[in-house]
Amino acid sequence: MTSQPIWSPVALSNMVEPSTSTGAVVNGAELVVWRDSSGKAHVWEDRCPHRGMRMSFGFVRGDHLACLYHGWQYDTAGQCSHIPAHPQLEVPQTIRMQTFAAAERNGIIWAGATADANAALLPAERTGLVTVRSLYADCTSAKALKVLAATPLPGSADAPTVEAITENYVSLTSGPIRLLVAIQIMGEEKTALHMMATEGAPVAALARYAQDLRLILETPVAEAA
Amino acid sequence: MSALTLYNYELDENSYRVRLLLSMLGIQHEIYSVNMLPGREEKSPALLALNPCGTLPFIEQDGTVMFGAEAILAHLARNNDASRKWLPIDGPDFTATMMWLGFAAGPLQAAVKAREVAVFAVGGHLERLKAGARAAFRIMDDHMVLRQIEGKDWFAADHPTIADLALIPSFALSRDFNIDHEEFPALRLWLRRFRRLPGFITMPGIPDYH
Repeated sequence: MTSQPIWSPVALSNMVEPSTSTGAVVNGAELVVWRDSSGKAHVWEDRCPHRGMRMSFGFVRGDHLACLYHGWQYDTAGQCSHIPAHPQLEVPQTIRMQTFAAAERNGIIWAGATADANAALLPAERTGLVTVRSLYADCTSAKALKVLAATPLPGSADAPTVEAITENYVSLTSGPIRLLVAIQIMGEEKTALHMMATEGAPVAALARYAQDLRLILETPVAEAA
Repeated sequence: MSALTLYNYELDENSYRVRLLLSMLGIQHEIYSVNMLPGREEKSPALLALNPCGTLPFIEQDGTVMFGAEAILAHLARNNDASRKWLPIDGPDFTATMMWLGFAAGPLQAAVKAREVAVFAVGGHLERLKAGARAAFRIMDDHMVLRQIEGKDWFAADHPTIADLALIPSFALSRDFNIDHEEFPALRLWLRRFRRLPGFITMPGIPDYH
């Protein structure tokens, strides 16, 4: 198992709308990524402390995330604040979620390895980026990096110039096109690639390139050789 | 005209496809509740006399029976939607609407069968069906990624069609057979949009809250 980066990408920012939640897996750990009604992103462990139900199946009410199972509501600090079956109860402080730091940078929601992950370790901020897509593939992150470095970007016959911005964030450049890929290690054989490009890039062509990439990523190595 | 009767089983996904359109178009109808499980009433002589395929759903009106969810959707949209949007018969969107309707009746039925195996414990190879369902969801997600880049919100037109309606249930119910939504972000947004349309109804397995 590779060591876990301090910040892992978990979704493209504009694919998680305000007042919605989704699941995300980082190194086998199940997380819920949700936005409150004001648009702020949160990342928690994907388990309701009550019955273990996945909170990513839940629903957002204002700045609370509620469990689908019995409606227990948790505030943005992860503290349970309301139990519908016991509306008069002052909920004990001990009923709370395990929370992780959440940050948005370069069109991507990043989850910290801990609640107090150092924001200074996030990749440097860039402006003028446009969304391409998230791509989920059954392969190792090492293979994803190798294939990204070897596969020409649209409109080119040559492999792109690769620059590792951080250990899980790479920039691929080919002529005027620059593709930024944030790599989410989901498990040993599961990887998600969250892709943004510089403004003016042929986004549809890049989305199709990503789709083709998945075929290469999921071709067993022996056959690919 | 006599009443339209839907032969329905509440937990059957293909029956839900028709219930959904009946609700969204506000079509008056009666329901005949079929004891599909455990009774397998749809295979009884009385019901086979109506629908020889022994499948659900089917509808009966004025003595005429029509089976096959997708055909029923097209029939109902054609006769009950004056806006001609749900089935864009005359416009350029007809082709894509029919193609995705066919996809719902074809590759996507792996998801319908996977759910039947997982929920009803009927026979079938769950892992193989799940792989087929995942492949179908990927094709749908890839399509909606490109549609979104074109600024389009729906599968086949600038507005929802019976293609969207026929595709939605399998994705909405995928957690019944343990395929989560996180790998299909474009479909997640599309499902949320569809849920907000007037007349949308759920079925067991699709949360009322979202």
